[in-house]
Amino acid sequence: MVFLTLPCWIRSRGPDRYWKVQELLKHARHFRGRKNRCYSLAVRAVRRAFVYATKARKLKKRNMRTLWISRIAAATREHGMKYPALMDNLTKSSVQLNRRVISDLAITEPRSFLSLAKLARARQQEGFRAVLGDGSEPPGVFSRVVMLQ
Amino acid sequence: MPVRGTPSRFLKSVLHNGVGRYVCQLKRISIIFSKNAQSSLGVRDFIEEGVVDYAKKNPGTVVYVSPQSCRIPRIVAEYLNGNVREEIITSKTAPQISELLSKLTNQSGLDVIRIRKPFHTDSPSIQGQWHPFTNRPPSIGPIRPHKQAAP
Repeated sequence: MVFLTLPCWIRSRGPDRYWKVQELLKHARHFRGRKNRCYSLAVRAVRRAFVYATKARKLKKRNMRTLWISRIAAATREHGMKYPALMDNLTKSSVQLNRRVISDLAITEPRSFLSLAKLARARQQEGFRAVLGDGSEPPGVFSRVVMLQ
Repeated sequence: MPVRGTPSRFLKSVLHNGVGRYVCQLKRISIIFSKNAQSSLGVRDFIEEGVVDYAKKNPGTVVYVSPQSCRIPRIVAEYLNGNVREEIITSKTAPQISELLSKLTNQSGLDVIRIRKPFHTDSPSIQGQWHPFTNRPPSIGPIRPHKQAAP
């Protein structure tokens, strides 16, 4: 008589569970609480973290732009102008600097930023004169549009 | 991968390489392959034709060619700052391997992780960085020696 059914009941599971678990836990090591140690809690936390990271790529661009805009606004108010006036007049004078560059200039190059603000104010005055005054005054220097062939 | 979960570094060059002379940062290249396996076919072709030219063109890099019985052929590149990079070259053709080698030659040994900013300056501000008193006129006049009214 040979007993064959008992050995068939012994199953050996997969050999790699430790490494698969570690692969997930390595993304959770900097979390707080049991989420950084226990697998079932870490699975949910790591998935949320990845989802937040995906969504944040768009938000980062938005947040950086608002940061630059608030910095430029603060810097122009120091010189007695406002942010919309500055940006409008810079684009009208065909100064094609983006907000990141202008905010960096305002921080590290304050005198260049002052000259940009003065340029914008001059263009603004020319705009006012063109609209409010009669045609007797000559048109302004900064409102000349240069056509490059 | 989340920003805080993965390591990151700032852009830098090893000891301002390139400002004066350029030193190739690749110290040693070891090509490990097998003499008879099919996966190292491209490697063997490369060693027949391209390795000597590569070694002559890069005199500062030591090239080791070691045939062993291995399943997967590799290239182990060691850099001057101690970093070791291993590339697996199974079933690659000889021109692909030479392209890979030129890529490794041009790399500095710094880690291939996220670079926070694509620029770096040692002197970010030329006109003086802004501080709250930059655009404020001084509230008291210039400091002069105290005038004594002579009798």
